[in-house]
Amino acid sequence: MRRALGTLVALVLTVSACGGTTTSTAPTKNKPAKGGDLVIVKALDSKSMDNTTTFDNDSIWIFEQMMEPLYTVTEDGKGVKPWLATSYTLSPDKLNYTFKLRPGVKFTNGMPMTSADVKFSLDKAGATKGGWEFINTAIKSVAAPTPDTVVVTTKYPWAPLVADLSNFNNGIVPKDYAGMTSKAFYDHPVGTGPFKWDHWTKGSELKLVKNADYWQTGKPSLDSVTWKTVPDDNTRTLQLQGGQAQVNEFPPFSSLGQLKNSSTTQVTLFDSTKTDYLLFNHTTKPFNDVHARRAISLAIDRAAIIKSVLFGNGKPANSFMPPQVPYYDAATKGLQYDLTAAKDELAKSSTPNGFTATYLSAAGNVQDAAIAQILQGAVKPLGITIKIENVDPATARARQDKLDYQITHSSWTMDIADPDELVSFAVDPTTGAKSFYTGYSNKAVIAATHDAQKAFDPAARQAKYTFIQQQAADDAFMAFLYYSPYQWSYSKKVQGFLPYPTGNYHLEDVTLSK
Amino acid sequence: MAYLAFIGRRMWQLLPVLFGITLVVFFMIHLIPGDPASTLLGNRSTPQAVAALRSQFGLDEPLYQQYLDFLGRVVRGDLGSSFVYKSPVRDLVQGRISATLWLLGMGALFSLLLSVPLAVLAASRKGGARDQAVRIVPLIGLGMPAVWVGLMLQLFFALKLGWFPVSGFGASFGEHVRSIVLPAITIAVALAPILVRSLRTSLLEVLDSDYVLTARAKGISRGRLLVRHALRNAAVSSVTVLGVNIAYLVGATVIVERVFALPGLGTLMLESIYSRDFPVVQGVVIVIAVLVVLVNLATDLAHASLDPRVGVEA
Repeated sequence: MRRALGTLVALVLTVSACGGTTTSTAPTKNKPAKGGDLVIVKALDSKSMDNTTTFDNDSIWIFEQMMEPLYTVTEDGKGVKPWLATSYTLSPDKLNYTFKLRPGVKFTNGMPMTSADVKFSLDKAGATKGGWEFINTAIKSVAAPTPDTVVVTTKYPWAPLVADLSNFNNGIVPKDYAGMTSKAFYDHPVGTGPFKWDHWTKGSELKLVKNADYWQTGKPSLDSVTWKTVPDDNTRTLQLQGGQAQVNEFPPFSSLGQLKNSSTTQVTLFDSTKTDYLLFNHTTKPFNDVHARRAISLAIDRAAIIKSVLFGNGKPANSFMPPQVPYYDAATKGLQYDLTAAKDELAKSSTPNGFTATYLSAAGNVQDAAIAQILQGAVKPLGITIKIENVDPATARARQDKLDYQITHSSWTMDIADPDELVSFAVDPTTGAKSFYTGYSNKAVIAATHDAQKAFDPAARQAKYTFIQQQAADDAFMAFLYYSPYQWSYSKKVQGFLPYPTGNYHLEDVTLSK
Repeated sequence: MAYLAFIGRRMWQLLPVLFGITLVVFFMIHLIPGDPASTLLGNRSTPQAVAALRSQFGLDEPLYQQYLDFLGRVVRGDLGSSFVYKSPVRDLVQGRISATLWLLGMGALFSLLLSVPLAVLAASRKGGARDQAVRIVPLIGLGMPAVWVGLMLQLFFALKLGWFPVSGFGASFGEHVRSIVLPAITIAVALAPILVRSLRTSLLEVLDSDYVLTARAKGISRGRLLVRHALRNAAVSSVTVLGVNIAYLVGATVIVERVFALPGLGTLMLESIYSRDFPVVQGVVIVIAVLVVLVNLATDLAHASLDPRVGVEA
């Protein structure tokens, strides 16, 4: 019903565009101009501005406009570049990172940023419980020997450190929250970013205004940015078409074809790190059998899923690591659709004549439903019967945590420009995530994961991650489904809008023409 | 004085209702599967992180203890603090109730503005072409889903004509008025047919009564007879129909709120159920229960004022 309505809306919009009812100027006449309020519409409201304990992108991508880290991810998502720090040196024992801070950076309360603020920020980021503290587990101590120097000492040689420090949980805030309590501070955050706090009407809109003293001279161009919560896909599209909004976050893939025909808006598919997987619970039969897992993985026609779920806007996944993460190996031979090979694998398994399994599906999730139905048909020739159990998303999430399922669907996006975040979570059960909630455990893969964390030589790290990717693929610990882009539609008056593969965007580079 | 006593009694009767609601909503939301901590932390969470957050929320306490804590807070007028937003539920409800009240009020007003003239038109000549048309055409509105009606109104009045915003609630009084027109019409399209049929039937019954015949015999014009004499008496049953429907809509506006991105109570409750934000679900249900009781009370009072035979002693 929702998809049908979406198609209808797009059709009506296309017809009205063809009929000349739109009144905006042609894109060629749009010239970048100073100022303006950029309105971004999105389906979900933000949850919190606490950068150390908040997990949803609808909050993260906003507070990143206020609180900045020492280093930040590069545009291609594969590296880091200096941001509030200008450089660093690494001690010969590879335990001490000495960062030089950028001069002249001020918080939006007018106070200069010093090493004391950095120490406070990193210390508190590593001390949370139930937040992002796992990013900072390798940090032993942080010292501030001079106002413009910070020394980070690690517990052991730790290659991903600079990438870790580029994560938003390590965004720099004033020491002691500028005299406020933690709660009061995060109700009205203060940072060094291009925008500063204005207001948040929960459930409706959150607004930031320009930081006139931003350290990048001449930026930002925009006067303000307002994120509005508009749950309905069609309404977001209409708001963009009607000029009430300039950017629409993640319009449905089903509507992209028609939206591209509009004279006032554009659709861009940005490279992302989003990867979708089919999870197998290794603690239940027959998924403790590698042949059963491989049989299912080989039976899945990924192209059919991409056509149905993404309307062709994706690529089959060959590795559990996405192409936009460093050390991804395109040569990894991930299992792909091959029904004959699938039958051969099942014949080698403990259930050669097939079995019945239950797919745990999050009700209301269109992608989940489509994947479940395609999977049902795909494994039928093997004699495998898939029953679909629909539960609400919170229930599905809780049951995945407890390994209370047989097959289910999940996805991942990267936050930092280093594979360790994903690899540790996905294949190392000692991190506590039960190997992406599959129960997978391969000693050689775990050892390689730990080795890669301590390898500073890029070639040595590549060798480790190449091994991990191939072994994980051979073990079919999950069925790697597809890589998908970030889809955004936005007004042709918007220039410089560039979401990175990690999902974040730099609004100080965005301009809005009149 | 009798009215005040009646209101006082109804408020007193509200207490056991609220107590029952606290029991039902607390245990229902806690007993259904799904954990607030793991939902909030997302798929990057570890069991240790989930356990730490559960402890922070007090979810590791025995269930009866959690209920008693909740009840104690409610008695003190404290609805607790949101797990998701980390702010008082009272503040969240205060921020959202305005849009819901506007929607209900304007929806009821537009329903009356649509249904009264149509019912009078239909009843003025029973069985005639106008009557047939009024009986059939509004039924189309009843059969159309709110999401469809809302979408069509957005496309025509907001996108094509530009008279109203596509969605949102605005910040000022004027913006609220402009923003609420299309959602209110969406509600009226579904509600008016019920009222038209009810009012038309009542009007026809009244028009057949002896006092109307007497009035006609005295030479009172047909229009005056309809508006001054018949409509007031016919409105009695329709007020009840309107009241029941508005009370139902208090908790059922979520579709209209969603289509028009109105930050109302329905959306807040739905979001909170999905994220298992227990304190918000509990708080919103209590507020909605109070609103339903108040709407029913207003309906009874309106009924009594329209019909002197109906007392307020009961």
